[in-house]
Amino acid sequence: MMKHLVTLTLNGQKTTLEVEPHRTLLSVLKGDLHLDGAKEGCGIGECGACTVLLNGEPVNGCLVFAVECDGATVDTIEGEADDDTLSALQQAFIDHGAVQCGFCTPGMINSARALLATNESPTREDIVEAVSGNYCRCTGYQPIIDAIEAVARARDHGGYKTTPVPAAPYVGGPTKRIDGYDKVTGSASFVHDMVVPNMLHARMKLASVASARIVKLDVAKAESMPGVRAVLTGATLTQKLGLYMQDKDILVRDRVRHQGEAVAAVAADTVDQAKAACDAIEVVYEPLPAVLDVQEATAPNAPLVHPDIAGYSWMKGVFFPEPGTNIAHHQKIRKGDIEKGFAQADRVFEHQFTNPPVQHVPMETHTAIVRAKPGGAVDIITSAQSPFTVQYLFCHTFQLPLNKVRVQVPYVGGGFGGKAGVHLEPLVYCLSKATGGRPVKLVATREEEFNTLPSRQGLTSRIKTGVTKDGKITALEITYLWDAGAYADYGVNVGRAAAYSGAGPYVVPNCKLDSKVVYTNKIYGTAYRGFGHLEVLWGIERNMDLVARAIGIDPMEFRRKNLLRPGKQTITGELFTEHHGRPEECLRLVAQAIGWDPKSRVDRPVKVASGKVRAKGLAMLHKAPAMPVFTSCSAVIKFSGDGSATVLVSGIDYGQGTYTTLAQIAADELKLPIDKIHVPWDSDTDYTPYDWQTVASRFAVMGGNAVIQAARDCLDQIRKTASQVLHAPVEQLVCESGTVYVKGKLGQTLAYKDLVLGYSFPNGNSIGGPVIGHGRYIAQGLTHLDPATGQGLPALNWTYGAHGVEIEVDTDTGEIHVVKLASAFDPGKVLNIQQCRTQVIGGVVQGLGSAVLEKFVFDKGRLVNNSFSDYKIPTAKDIPDSMEQFFVETPHPQGPYGARGIAEHPMISVPSAIGNALANATGVDLFELPLDAEKVYLALKRRKGV
Amino acid sequence: MTHTLYERPTTVSQAVSLLSKAPDRTVVLAGGTDLMLKIRSGTLHPDLLVDVKSIPELTRIQWLPDGELAIGAAVTMCQIYRNPEIKERYPALSEGAEAVGSLQIRHRATVGGNICNASPCMDTAPGLLLLGAKVIVAGPGGQKTLSISDFFVGVKKTRLAAGELVCEIRIPATSRAFSTAFDKIKRVRGHDLALVNAAVALDRIAGTIRVAVGSCGATTIITDPVTDVDPAGSNEEIVTERVIRTLLTKICPIDDVRSSAEYRRDMAELLCRRLVKRLISEGSCCGRIH
Repeated sequence: MMKHLVTLTLNGQKTTLEVEPHRTLLSVLKGDLHLDGAKEGCGIGECGACTVLLNGEPVNGCLVFAVECDGATVDTIEGEADDDTLSALQQAFIDHGAVQCGFCTPGMINSARALLATNESPTREDIVEAVSGNYCRCTGYQPIIDAIEAVARARDHGGYKTTPVPAAPYVGGPTKRIDGYDKVTGSASFVHDMVVPNMLHARMKLASVASARIVKLDVAKAESMPGVRAVLTGATLTQKLGLYMQDKDILVRDRVRHQGEAVAAVAADTVDQAKAACDAIEVVYEPLPAVLDVQEATAPNAPLVHPDIAGYSWMKGVFFPEPGTNIAHHQKIRKGDIEKGFAQADRVFEHQFTNPPVQHVPMETHTAIVRAKPGGAVDIITSAQSPFTVQYLFCHTFQLPLNKVRVQVPYVGGGFGGKAGVHLEPLVYCLSKATGGRPVKLVATREEEFNTLPSRQGLTSRIKTGVTKDGKITALEITYLWDAGAYADYGVNVGRAAAYSGAGPYVVPNCKLDSKVVYTNKIYGTAYRGFGHLEVLWGIERNMDLVARAIGIDPMEFRRKNLLRPGKQTITGELFTEHHGRPEECLRLVAQAIGWDPKSRVDRPVKVASGKVRAKGLAMLHKAPAMPVFTSCSAVIKFSGDGSATVLVSGIDYGQGTYTTLAQIAADELKLPIDKIHVPWDSDTDYTPYDWQTVASRFAVMGGNAVIQAARDCLDQIRKTASQVLHAPVEQLVCESGTVYVKGKLGQTLAYKDLVLGYSFPNGNSIGGPVIGHGRYIAQGLTHLDPATGQGLPALNWTYGAHGVEIEVDTDTGEIHVVKLASAFDPGKVLNIQQCRTQVIGGVVQGLGSAVLEKFVFDKGRLVNNSFSDYKIPTAKDIPDSMEQFFVETPHPQGPYGARGIAEHPMISVPSAIGNALANATGVDLFELPLDAEKVYLALKRRKGV
Repeated sequence: MTHTLYERPTTVSQAVSLLSKAPDRTVVLAGGTDLMLKIRSGTLHPDLLVDVKSIPELTRIQWLPDGELAIGAAVTMCQIYRNPEIKERYPALSEGAEAVGSLQIRHRATVGGNICNASPCMDTAPGLLLLGAKVIVAGPGGQKTLSISDFFVGVKKTRLAAGELVCEIRIPATSRAFSTAFDKIKRVRGHDLALVNAAVALDRIAGTIRVAVGSCGATTIITDPVTDVDPAGSNEEIVTERVIRTLLTKICPIDDVRSSAEYRRDMAELLCRRLVKRLISEGSCCGRIH
């Protein structure tokens, strides 16, 4: 093949490369030069993750051919730091909490570098413009803009000075991310970046129709193509996959259930060869009837997506599929007497709401490298949220012993629930086996991320409300129909969790709730940040406003009258105590922040300009971790000879910052400065201790408890040895700043470093030994829900919160712009204030995407917006003008320092608050998400009767 | 595409001769922002990439002695909208170029590439059409000039023949009384393709207004001039209604993944209203209202 010599100045060094003309700059930077700071997020120049500087200008590396760079200067993130000294921008990103998963960070910093190199004193608008071509799904952009602005403003004041490093006690303070350095320098290694020796590359052949039988699948041509090492079809892959419900095939086995699912896969020497072979596979489909929405799917005699549910295995006693129908799970909640409740009501209202399926959009798509080793062992490196669950489900599927399968998870570029459970790993394993055990890497393209990997389920909610004229809810009758798509392995639990939360944070004396998870011939659903709660609270919180307005009570007052308070019971019969949190205080804080006047009954719109109107809205939220009753986790702390400690866990920090929080906890508990704590980034089932899954906002809580226990175990061991040295009882020993001394006798201290590997007396006698502490935590006291009534204790804890928004509606275009968004939560105890704030900002902006932008668009079951060209997410230009965060701290008795989870919650109820504000601004009530400009505009137009 | 070759000619004639050898298998590489997508999606499998960015004529912006503006086909969007004279004289072109993609895209995407891609939602077309731009094309048979309105034939189709190269876009001199403006409706405030885009031109001396609207037909649609316009605005309301009526008879928007036809039609109307109002109330050709 013709190669060109390309000479360029790369990060200041003259470099000559030999490249084939078709290669992109991105592929050469990564593949040949291992400058892996540049990331591929979409391959079509929409996401900016591959932004590098070409002759000083920011460009998408995926849209530049490497041959074009002959004679050019190219700067990547690897050239930004001065040896080990971070640049001002890099340091500011860490200081401002502008880094979460880190996948977008190098591209983002490169865009900022280009701006600061050409603009002496950029305005905030200039900064927003400069980074708006870089997608970030974690941070909500505001911390990024703040970081760049801080560097720009410091130029006239002697340059950027880093913010002070917080001192002990660390818990509660703004400890900076311990992974910040790796991420701002581009040295954090994601599975996307990884290459292992002898590795092959895989691609998938996707089904082009929604429901069909495969009548012909001809791989002969593909098998004979250059570089092809294995071609797989579902014919020989009989195993079923799934978390709660084993309903998925590894590759389609004769019956296609959604457009975009994989019907075949190829492993080849290069990605291009694998793709070419996939293109050469011939598939002939015989179309079958498709069910494309939940109404059709639940109609009598509807075509069945899974005719053989009864033959599947699932978690018995927890999930209740209905064979012979499309219902994968039916969760019932029955409390009080629903008929009596409606009889007591003065008014009864019925409303229906819908949510479309949407995607998580992690910046790093799903990817896995798997090697089926000789002798039956398996090595898996994967971008996943839960190494032990990948291991368990994988072994369950292939009937392998757990200790033969090693799962490693390095840095993960976002997950948001979409990387919980098991995904590409089994297919890649089968490919590896088929090639005689060579390692195989499969990276989902962005199109596959949309089309082949799971999404968030759609939902149709019907809510019937009985209410007295003074505003007390007497009855709620609710039906939730979840559009699970073609598989419900995880979706069944969304239907379950959203059911026990499904009436909102309110006292509902009489409740009848049916949550049905329904198969359709669409992309299948899974966990997505908030796990069903954004969806149900869209209906519930819109309903609260609709009912309040109809009975003439202020929506805030109506909520207050019905909020859960100590002594009251949830709809599953759980007693609300003073430890549960203070939802009312959250509501008060956000109402105050946006200037809500509770006497106004409804917020009056304010005309701000021709065609522009502003109004406010409120919404509440709650969520408990959704997980099996036996969920457990563990931590190990081991000491090194210099008295520093390493904390091992297997929960994953895929951007949310938990490892930093655990380091804070370990430092405080071990009485060590935080720079003596190391939390290794690679979780590895061979070396790090068990954790179920990193989902449900549970890791800081359960992992925090495990780390506390492990640290205390270490101190016990340290004291025990020290007591022999200091000749004092263990109870009289005090640990402080990495030393031990006898209470009141500061003169005689022993450093940890002299104890943690064992203590040697001057005469050579030695005692003790290496200090290794372990801690564990298991959810306690939870019960399965009663199958008939849903009564029981499903929740480890509840986090309550509220949002207040002020929006501006352009009535000419229908565009909603959020002027102000205030959020309050009761996380029990703020463990890291900077991370809590940035988690909220990021979640709010993600919720804004669900509120006003995001939806799957199908045409006869075919996803037509499977790329960033037409699936839009918020950019830096789309965030609220201002965001405020409040934290109420009502300690939870079982949480570490009283903490509860807060990772998912910020996203929930952002759509409902905006929907309520929209109604207040325009008088138009919308019931269907998203509230995109076109929908708002057309609703306003219809009302005018034009 | 695994056997692709790459050439970087430095003259137009070299480029044309490279393009003529195997026209069906050869593509022009300028900014590459559309080309790369076609290669990635498998709709194009070129054997030869002809990178035209080292041809001096194609990369410069020049004001010709007769007042014409010559923009090389490989001039980027950034170069266009960061040019203060273009911004002052031809706001619709400048604003259209600024509305393209993200900053990263605008550093690469070229005006020649934009018109050759001929997407119905392209953001430079409305301005170029209203300005009566000409397209200078070089081919095996020499050079020819096409008017921009003849250049576009259909969705992603132009009059450019195989082996031909767009060298330059030429904007005729216009009087200071001729003012233009551009705007765009999209789904996010960040980068997005136009659901609708539009440019309006007001000729204060002739008393005419013309409109060009994208994403409402196979190509960007330009209306006949509405006459008897009082640039001082005395008959603004009537003029606006006439402009809208003229526009609505010509556009034929469709329902697609980005928008319904109805929303497109209404937004086309809104853009025209806003732009006409802006031009008349501005009383000058510069400045920009949001």
